[in-house]
Amino acid sequence: MSQPKLNLTSLGSINADGSHRSLHPADVKGRFTSLRRWVALLLLVIYVALPWIPIKGHPAVFLDVASRRFHFFGLTFATQDMWVAFFFITGLAFSLFFVTSLFGRVWCGWTCPYTVFLEHVYRRIERWIDGDASARRRLDAASWTGEKIAKRVLKHGIYVMVSGLIAHLFLSYFVSIKGLYQMMQGPPSEHWLAFGVVFGLTFALYGAFSWFREQFCVIMCPYGRLQSALTDDHSLVIGYDKQRGEPRGKVSDPNAGACVSCNRCVQVCPTGIDIRNGLQLECIGCAACVDACDEIMTKVKRPTGLIRYDSYNGFQGGKTRLIRPRTIFYSIILLVGITAFVIAFQSIEPVRASAVRMPGAPYYAVDGMVRNQFLIRVINKRSETARFAFAMEGDISPNWKVSGLSEQMELPALAEEQQVLVVAVPEAEFRGKTTLKVRVTDVQSGASSVTRAMEMLGPDPRLKTIGPLNAKDFVQ
Amino acid sequence: MDNPNATNTPYEPPLREHVYDGIQEYDQKLPNWWLFTWYITMVWFVIGWLAYYQLGVGQTDQEIVDAQMAKIEAVRAEEMGSLDDAKLWAMSKDNAVVEAGKATFMATCVACHAADLSATLAGAKLPGLPLNDKEWKHGGLPTEVMQIVRKGAPDITKGMPPWESLGTQKIAEVVAFIMSYHEQGGEIVLAPDSPLKAGAADAPAPATTPAPVTPLGASLESP
Repeated sequence: MSQPKLNLTSLGSINADGSHRSLHPADVKGRFTSLRRWVALLLLVIYVALPWIPIKGHPAVFLDVASRRFHFFGLTFATQDMWVAFFFITGLAFSLFFVTSLFGRVWCGWTCPYTVFLEHVYRRIERWIDGDASARRRLDAASWTGEKIAKRVLKHGIYVMVSGLIAHLFLSYFVSIKGLYQMMQGPPSEHWLAFGVVFGLTFALYGAFSWFREQFCVIMCPYGRLQSALTDDHSLVIGYDKQRGEPRGKVSDPNAGACVSCNRCVQVCPTGIDIRNGLQLECIGCAACVDACDEIMTKVKRPTGLIRYDSYNGFQGGKTRLIRPRTIFYSIILLVGITAFVIAFQSIEPVRASAVRMPGAPYYAVDGMVRNQFLIRVINKRSETARFAFAMEGDISPNWKVSGLSEQMELPALAEEQQVLVVAVPEAEFRGKTTLKVRVTDVQSGASSVTRAMEMLGPDPRLKTIGPLNAKDFVQ
Repeated sequence: MDNPNATNTPYEPPLREHVYDGIQEYDQKLPNWWLFTWYITMVWFVIGWLAYYQLGVGQTDQEIVDAQMAKIEAVRAEEMGSLDDAKLWAMSKDNAVVEAGKATFMATCVACHAADLSATLAGAKLPGLPLNDKEWKHGGLPTEVMQIVRKGAPDITKGMPPWESLGTQKIAEVVAFIMSYHEQGGEIVLAPDSPLKAGAADAPAPATTPAPVTPLGASLESP
């Protein structure tokens, strides 16, 4: 099973015949690797802990789909508040623009869950069972001995278990740990959907992290492509200092540059590229090559930083500007995004109301009165029963009869109810389309109220001056 | 790339011949897994085409919707069919049912018929008809009242809308609440303008007369 030489010019992880090349990045030590491991550990702890921490009686993050409640650190949202998520997600996108234009693909290399799970969970398990890169390559090429079978069974067994664990935790974000535990007591037939989600996700995670690996980042992830498009010559990327490094040569060669052609940077790369060929779309900015090169440079007693975090301009010997039109523009849209989110967030009321015309005729002209019938639909978004009172807003002539508002409405948690509102006005007083306003107030809290507008319609008063139409008037 | 010798080695894809602005392309083969997903879609297309369009296995979305609607209609018909005058009278004596009906009435009907069913508010006439006296326009039996609640008034210019959307249970509860103001077997006087009054022979019975136009109901029931 020995593989052809690594193709460093077009796509390292795919062989010329289209087969997937399993990459075995070598071990690397250094400041970025250690720091990255700590960041990953922190993120893993957060992922595992969030469903367990109770805040105000709910898990810290609990997307309770079944009862249409979404809890985030003590704040509760209803499905009717979903529109705020639009501003949250666009805000995230603008933050990504901003961070990427300054620091390149730090998201990919440091915080993306895919990278965290792959580099800091699954590859660690593989390293522990199969040994270092050359041992893994030897094992791949070896025939199926008892030892290889045992190692493969152990490795994939642990992979499946870890994938199952991640999948169960994922589900617990939607059903809570308690709900998950209760489900796990019963047979799958009692909750096929939850079982299917966990089963499918376990399978997907296992496939992704045991086999698919860097293919996702290199070929599938739109986020990575998007980020590649957001960087410019001043963005911080991982690169190779060509001016210092070239021409490559032996340590003893006085005419050669700093690069000693040891190929360590290629051996440690998780996506199979040669960073010395410049910035490539496969680079996830993990900084493994930075640590690898620094280690070698220290050994040969040359200054470190031949491969480093720097901008394209920095590598050309120029200056990196943090404040430039792109970052200014991205900060402005980020600020606009944050402002929009804050305004949207503060406008959330625990009651939702709408005023619509009742099905049927737009208006009724009966007994000298023009009558409009409206439906006031109220949804209680709170987790407890609430009472709502209705009132008209603004000055209304005493001859305008408004009925249907005298009764208060009691609504259980999450319930929806409609109230009929009828407005009648003497035909003589109707002066054309008028806007009326009704206010729905939560009686208990008193604080939250919403106002909705309705249009009072009727026969056009201008037509009355003509008098009733008579055929004789039109025939000469 | 800097090194022209780096191309066309056995492990690297060949270069395409064309050159634009000094740039050449590699003839990189698509990943096999990618091609495989494409082949699966082709196989799946054949299976789907055979199953849905040739063999008729499985329902189309329209058929699923129709089946569900038919089921809802069947349940509704069964529920409605089981409700006769005797049952509605019995419900009107059940406090829990009447209370539930009152809650719906106070939200939905009170604007026109008033909280005391008199259709007057502080001396002023409301749009609805009084429901607390023995005079009825469309018949005073519980099933006749229920028909008007469900389908609305036959004369759409009067404004009583169809409330079919409330659901069978709420409709029955509201009728029970109204009938709790009346006695079983009590006198029923037809109003002077009642369509039931003039010649019982040619006037259709209200219990079987669908409203001439029921915008909401019509759009739900007819495709």
